[in-house]
Amino acid sequence: MKLLRSRLARLDTGLSAVAALTLVLYLVFLIVPVLLSLKTSFTNQNILFPNSSFVGLANYRQLLHDTQLRASIEFTLALAIAVTIVANAAGLGFAILLNRTSLSYRVLRTLAFLPQVISGIIVGFVWSWMLSPTGLVNHILTGTGLISQPVNWLGTPQLAQLSAAIVVSWVLSGFTTVVYLAALQNIPRELYDASSIDGANRRQQFRMITFRMVAPATTISVVICLITVLKLYDILTALTGGGPAYATRSIAMYIINVGFSNDAYGYASAIAMVLLALTAIIALSVTTVLRRREVDL
Amino acid sequence: MIAQHVAAARPAPGRTVPARPARQATRTLRRSGRLALALLVILAFVSPIYLTIVNAFKTNTAIASSPASLPVHPTLGNLSAALNQPGQVLELGLRNSLIVVVCSVALLIPLGSAFSFWISRKRTKTRAAIMVAFAAGLMIPPQITVLPIIKILTLMGLDHTYPGLILSNLGGGYLSFAVFVYVGFMRSIPAEVIEAARIDGATGLRVWWTIIMPLVRPATATVGVFLSLWIWNDFLNPLLIIGPITGQTVTVGLYDSVSNQVQPDYGLQFGFMLLAALIPVAGYLLAQKQFRAGLTAGSAR
Repeated sequence: MKLLRSRLARLDTGLSAVAALTLVLYLVFLIVPVLLSLKTSFTNQNILFPNSSFVGLANYRQLLHDTQLRASIEFTLALAIAVTIVANAAGLGFAILLNRTSLSYRVLRTLAFLPQVISGIIVGFVWSWMLSPTGLVNHILTGTGLISQPVNWLGTPQLAQLSAAIVVSWVLSGFTTVVYLAALQNIPRELYDASSIDGANRRQQFRMITFRMVAPATTISVVICLITVLKLYDILTALTGGGPAYATRSIAMYIINVGFSNDAYGYASAIAMVLLALTAIIALSVTTVLRRREVDL
Repeated sequence: MIAQHVAAARPAPGRTVPARPARQATRTLRRSGRLALALLVILAFVSPIYLTIVNAFKTNTAIASSPASLPVHPTLGNLSAALNQPGQVLELGLRNSLIVVVCSVALLIPLGSAFSFWISRKRTKTRAAIMVAFAAGLMIPPQITVLPIIKILTLMGLDHTYPGLILSNLGGGYLSFAVFVYVGFMRSIPAEVIEAARIDGATGLRVWWTIIMPLVRPATATVGVFLSLWIWNDFLNPLLIIGPITGQTVTVGLYDSVSNQVQPDYGLQFGFMLLAALIPVAGYLLAQKQFRAGLTAGSAR
């Protein structure tokens, strides 16, 4: 037995070497950078002071009084919650609507994923044109007489935040629709047949079968939506550039602003640690709650 | 449990059954109503893409006066303007993006699948620990790692280079995603298949390449499509790792070109966006059948 195992181990050296290389890459380009970021967050590293020194918790103390950071966190969290709710409700609804086997529905399903295929930069630019004073939205609204004057949908802080929520929900609905469609296609047909025989109506079937059977997909979909919005950068950069008056600047954008435009690496790293902690806490707690819900349903 | 709930749902008493032709008519009506609603939803999903296509062939005045219509007098001016920008931003960007995507995905697929094969045969405890470490990769925002990655690449002498960008793509979230998809698929491969090959004296790498890879082809399709799209559309990493001097990927080139316009030239923007989106959209439409098969099979596990 021992002999066999050692022979097998020898046969595996090539595979183990590839696995070791993969692990090294993962360590060097993910784990080590996170640790370096943590270390930098305790220093005053800056483009002007390349020889940085340890400043203890000074950066973290500064965080507490940073009103710009607070605004970024509030906006990012509100956006994450709003978008996750809208995209999941819409995604489940669209998936039910599109869950038919005929060719026309198959074509439509393929198209539903397109918002995910194009880059966030393109999404941001197209929507910023659509929402501009001369763009399509105003063209339609003034044309139909719903409003008399064109509105700059990205012009005031509140409107820009609302517009951002709509655009990001639009993008993520394409993703959630595909996830829920995959889940719907795995529900055994017999459940619906049996319930029809028992006289259940459409609404009861949705509540008793569909809603419960897609619970694992809901967990995945909700958590991915939350994580995606928490680290959102490209769509907002192209849509609003974080404005007006920094009203739509996500935490991720603030980190890059502080780190690259102001070259304050130490402080940017401290903000990065806040984002990491927020993401980890939200992802883990929401996963735990939703997993428990899957069992309860 | 579900059957119980279903059984609790009693039929509504006294529901009238309409006569047969009337019922058929209602059914047809409902069916076309559903399709119309579905079309409306999809219209919302494709409208920005439709707008990009039609407006890429219009002059700026036509875009302003009839933003949603088909081009009445189609012009190729926007496309040629996009292709003739100073520094050939679009052409070089397309070339650079293709190089980055092809090299990154061609390395991530073998690394991810061989690694997944290796850990799928480890003890449960080891495997669980490694999977937790890789789950972190899906969660950690790139804004946290990009600054230190640039420092690490500088130490290697690879900062502001494409090999550096490709190398940094191999660690982190992309690798995590590949490993998760492959491990899910490999769980369903019976151990006897592998044992039989090993008694014949095949090495681990040989078993992986000749037996495992053909069995997990749907996973490879899913991983390949998703990673290609994500890496093609990636904005932050090329923006900061490559920087402004060397010449950028198409996604960053598009951003630079549009954000540098003092007066927005929407025609040029749509032309650039159309040409920049052509490759990923065409690639997705060609690969979507395999990709969907992988997604459905993967989520069933």
